[in-house]
Amino acid sequence: MHLTEEEMMEQVYGESENTRAVERHLAACRDCANNFAELQRDLAALDRVEAPARDIGYGERVWASIAPLLPVYRFEKRRWWTTGLWKGLSYAAACALLAACAFYAGRVWEQKKQPSVSQAAPKNAAPKQPIVVVVLDDHLDRSERFLVELKHADMDSAAMVSPMRDEARSLLAANRVARKDAAQENDPDLTTALDHLDRLLAEATNEPGGLNAAAIARLQDEMNADGVLFEVRVLRSRIARRNGTGNIPAKGGSI
Amino acid sequence: MRMDKNDHATIQAVLAGDKEAYGTLVVRHSQTLFRVAYRITGNEADAEDVVQEAFLRGYRKLEGFESRANFGTWIYRICIHCALDRVRHRRGDEISRVGDANDPELDQLQVADEKAGPERLVLSGEIGSMQQAALSSLTAMERTAFVMRHMEDCTTAEIGAALGMDPNAAKQAVFRAVQKLRRRLAPLRVAT
Repeated sequence: MHLTEEEMMEQVYGESENTRAVERHLAACRDCANNFAELQRDLAALDRVEAPARDIGYGERVWASIAPLLPVYRFEKRRWWTTGLWKGLSYAAACALLAACAFYAGRVWEQKKQPSVSQAAPKNAAPKQPIVVVVLDDHLDRSERFLVELKHADMDSAAMVSPMRDEARSLLAANRVARKDAAQENDPDLTTALDHLDRLLAEATNEPGGLNAAAIARLQDEMNADGVLFEVRVLRSRIARRNGTGNIPAKGGSI
Repeated sequence: MRMDKNDHATIQAVLAGDKEAYGTLVVRHSQTLFRVAYRITGNEADAEDVVQEAFLRGYRKLEGFESRANFGTWIYRICIHCALDRVRHRRGDEISRVGDANDPELDQLQVADEKAGPERLVLSGEIGSMQQAALSSLTAMERTAFVMRHMEDCTTAEIGAALGMDPNAAKQAVFRAVQKLRRRLAPLRVAT
């Protein structure tokens, strides 16, 4: 196995990683030794190109030729905030300040907004109600409207049926949350009513053939048999009394 | 004429607005830059232009000069790039003259060399001409890498750093250059 030209060149330029091994090989292999000697001769023949001498005034002349072309560096260019590190830190600080201002503005806005709501409560002289009550009332309000729509549904109108089914699906999810809360609150009337509502909504949502005329007629029968609409209205009145308003609260009326 | 400050202090002075201080650096490093520029470009006029160009570029980039670096090495690399650009720019013309092994002009020269005796070759300076012609046949990158390795005694790592390439690529560039040069100068070997 002979040395490659590249390996020999590395050896000539003193960059071989295996200098000793190459030397041993050259000592043992006449062909490689001849090729190596030839390479050395060739490289030695490639004389170093000696640059013509420049006199001592050369540098001055170079300077004289370029000086008029150079602008004066302005000291301002090297202000501390223009250096890389400080520039980065400045950007970071500016971002942090912006975030802090945004946070503070948000807090101020929240504080200004809250009194307008809380001031409404004393005017009504109503005790604070848990948010869940309002959520429940909202749910019952939506359910009542759905049931009224179902009761008066035009069985021949497909345009009405599709949104009703979507609404039933949405109400079903909310109803299950409300039912769970009612069970935890140990409120049998509410739980029973929500059970009836759940059954009706589940059927409306999962009707295999969609909400066709037959399905709507059947749902209307069930609704009437269970008195679901009546139950929902009773529950809404009860919540209104609990709120102390005596009226059925409008949707989103107070928190 | 100017106070002989070290390079870093001089650079600080330049950046602070003392343009004249840059003259100190120019005077200090001009000879070195001319030498390498000449070796790469192969002629005085180009080399002088390259030196001026290098110092101009250096001045414009002075704000980006890292204080940890050595100004001499930094401006040397800029000069290498300027010379490389110059050779590349000039190369179109040269390819038409001595671009490849089939160049009839070079063939003619080689035939004449073979017929002439070695003493005459030396005396007439045609060996030098052939070397220049052979160097001119290299690509700008090969020529620069070879000059840096063979004449400037740079390591392949230094060549790679100066030319913005992997050291292994620099080594390959030198290797290709040597192969081409040996092939083109083979007639000289026979003659001598």
